[in-house]
Amino acid sequence: MIQVRHLTKDYQRVKRREGFLGSVRTLFSADYQTTRAVDDISFNIKEGELVGYIGPNGAGKSTSIKMLCGILVPTSGEVLVNGLVPHKNRMENTRQIGAVFGQKTQLWWDVPVIESLKLFRDIYKVPEAQYKQNLTLFNELLDLHEFSSTPVRQLSLGQRLRADMAAALLHNPRLLFLDEPMIGVDVVAKEKLREFIKEIDRDQKVTILLTTHDMTDIEKVCSRIMIIDHGRIVYDGSLEQIRAEYGKQRKLVVEFEEEVPDFSAPHAALVKTEGRKKWFAFNRFETSPSTLIADISSRFPIIDLAVEEPEIEEIVRTIYRGKPELVETGIK
Amino acid sequence: MKIFWSFARQAFQYISVYRFNFFMEFILTLVRMYGIYWVWRILYTQRPGAFGVSMEQMVTYGVMGMVLELFIWSRPQWYMANQVKSGAIDTDLMKPLDFHVHMLARSTGESLIGIGVLAIPALIIAYLFLDVQFPPDMWTALMFVVSIVLGFLVFFHLNFLLGSLAVVALDIRHISWAYFSLVRFLGGQIVPLWLFPPVVAAIAEVLPFKGTYYIPISIYIGRLAGVEAIRALEFQLVWLIVLVLVSRMLWDWAHRRLVVQGG
Repeated sequence: MIQVRHLTKDYQRVKRREGFLGSVRTLFSADYQTTRAVDDISFNIKEGELVGYIGPNGAGKSTSIKMLCGILVPTSGEVLVNGLVPHKNRMENTRQIGAVFGQKTQLWWDVPVIESLKLFRDIYKVPEAQYKQNLTLFNELLDLHEFSSTPVRQLSLGQRLRADMAAALLHNPRLLFLDEPMIGVDVVAKEKLREFIKEIDRDQKVTILLTTHDMTDIEKVCSRIMIIDHGRIVYDGSLEQIRAEYGKQRKLVVEFEEEVPDFSAPHAALVKTEGRKKWFAFNRFETSPSTLIADISSRFPIIDLAVEEPEIEEIVRTIYRGKPELVETGIK
Repeated sequence: MKIFWSFARQAFQYISVYRFNFFMEFILTLVRMYGIYWVWRILYTQRPGAFGVSMEQMVTYGVMGMVLELFIWSRPQWYMANQVKSGAIDTDLMKPLDFHVHMLARSTGESLIGIGVLAIPALIIAYLFLDVQFPPDMWTALMFVVSIVLGFLVFFHLNFLLGSLAVVALDIRHISWAYFSLVRFLGGQIVPLWLFPPVVAAIAEVLPFKGTYYIPISIYIGRLAGVEAIRALEFQLVWLIVLVLVSRMLWDWAHRRLVVQGG
């Protein structure tokens, strides 16, 4: 569905000089500086895949998505979306793409949602039967009928995002970009949107690229994640794989009968103490929980125990910080 | 072509949301119509033979200038500047719609509503209360209609060119005010070109601006008739073709700048 080869994008930005005189000089002669937003990335996405595309702010996510949409021309490298070169066949390409940007709406601010949808129908030349069928589907899954006659500016954020989602899917796109589609949405609405995303992926075989900062979204929705940082892909693989590769560290939480002094156990480090509870971090390939527990219980009486698996969020944080040896193994 | 009608429906929705705004716009136009009506009447009682046409013709010219403004109220350049500034231009470019056609559809839709909701009521008031004449014959009326359509298209493309500059300049408010004064003056909205001093008239004669107000209204009052009227329509058409070509080129350049530099 999507093939990306050695994709690179440089921006030219005007370098502003400081101070008043500096800005006056900038007016007449500007210095340009080049920033590399996307640096030699390559990946493939198959039809129907649901990929989490994550990375810190400014990592190059939006830039690469814009290149896939054909509204940015790559500096070098190749992009193919369903066999088309996006920036050369912009109109044809956008016909098969739908997009939701959580930060801005594609709908017309002042008019009722349904009017915007009608305009989308005409712009994308959606046949009447398909339009009706999709509306029924959206009414069912997104409760669109509850607010379809309300102007966009009066919608709650959750409703607006649902309306945007409907607009993006009205023309049955083969590819859907969701750029932080759940930003600022409450827990219930979020759950609903997640279900909806999974459902259209399953039923309509839509290929979805989901950008988010909420790792729960990724865990609940995606089967594969790509992590981008500083314009490079630092990880690409399945969720289980990332857990296996990066999740060597476990934590043992021990609650003692009474407060005990700090101590360290073999192959484990004390990371936190809170009243009678202590947290020990250990590598599961160096030692097993049972030996650790045996060692600790021989020192002090224990009331309660728990082993914590690392949260995906923590793993991602480690990757963002760029531990070199981990990153190396992550590159495909 | 359906898309033009869709945008008209959208514009109607928009007007109904901002009814108060449009009601005020309408009232304001009535005041302007009344103002220009009296200005010409007073000038004619002072110097009856000084303006080259009869008082009835001149009053019709002045009032029609105000009515036409309601027909071409669409301002694609402001939409474009806003979209570029807020970054929402991306969502426009992501639609399978040529941007130039998109803007034209939007403006045409808005103008269709402008005619129905604002211009025709204003025109009826003008006929009933402000001594505005009907065109002398059917042929003139027909040429007038052709001429305002061409005038609308010429005006749209001038606006579109200004909007394309917004991609580079980001803020076009100040250029806009200068530009509107220029269009109103050189377009002959208030004072017809034949009353200009010779040098200014010579400049205004060759520029496209006179295609917006001066040519349609002059045809309407019969000042431009017969061969002269046909020549005037040709003038509008030639400028329209030039402006379409320049608009496409300038937008392509602006678009390339957007896609290469990322706005």
